[in-house]
Amino acid sequence: MFERFTNEARDVVVGAQNEARGLGHRYIGTEHLLLSLLHPKRGAAGAILADAGVTAERVRADLQRLLGEPRLGQLDAAALEAIGIDLDAVRAKIEETFGPGALDPPPPARRRGRFRRQSDPDCPPTGHIPFTARSKKVLELSLREAVRFKHRFIGSEHILLGLLREGGGLAAKVLVDGGVNLDDLRHRAEESLRQAA
Amino acid sequence: MTEATDLAEAASSADAGIGLRAVVALRRLLETLEVLQVGNARRQGWSWQEIADALQVTRQAVHKKHAGRWPDKSR
Repeated sequence: MFERFTNEARDVVVGAQNEARGLGHRYIGTEHLLLSLLHPKRGAAGAILADAGVTAERVRADLQRLLGEPRLGQLDAAALEAIGIDLDAVRAKIEETFGPGALDPPPPARRRGRFRRQSDPDCPPTGHIPFTARSKKVLELSLREAVRFKHRFIGSEHILLGLLREGGGLAAKVLVDGGVNLDDLRHRAEESLRQAA
Repeated sequence: MTEATDLAEAASSADAGIGLRAVVALRRLLETLEVLQVGNARRQGWSWQEIADALQVTRQAVHKKHAGRWPDKSR
């Protein structure tokens, strides 16, 4: 499949891996493809997203919000005290066994489905990082979009269209949460492809 | 009013917001403890099946939730 990818589209795929690695994630999800598409040198798709008001900074901030670790903070301590649990006492007991800070750097939270996260800041991912099922699907759909347009190549717009057609990943959620109209984005990407043809 | 009576009041409060916030805090504490204890069990050589039995869940459930967290020794 990759032989049909333009250099630009290959850069998107490689860039997605770098985005995942940079965030300490052990998978390449749709969100990493989106971040990679937003890179300044990734061609038309990046420009279309920018026109729709999508910026890498905002996507990163949204991801942080969606994937952020639940931290046992002062509000938790207060809430637990309200039902008779002394978090400091719990912490002291745990630290007796597991050492200082055992409860502090909260371990990577369990995430299911699109929110599942397999990152561990203490052990950054190296080597091969696999695509999630969704992001694989996005790449397959980008090929299908190229076929639909009778294009012999896959460019960044096709990947964007694949991302929008897949529609269920974290990327789509971030876009929708940010008030982006996915249909509108799709039309713009299709228009860009028609003009390029 | 002392701090203790404040707390007693909060604890017996019918305020759903306070009660629900306590549930969230408990869940966070539970998740944190579970990760800590599962990690400890793994380091002590417990199998996923043994951990699952102890937690009273299926092996698949515990594996799906925690296996990605620690490097598999066989790899």
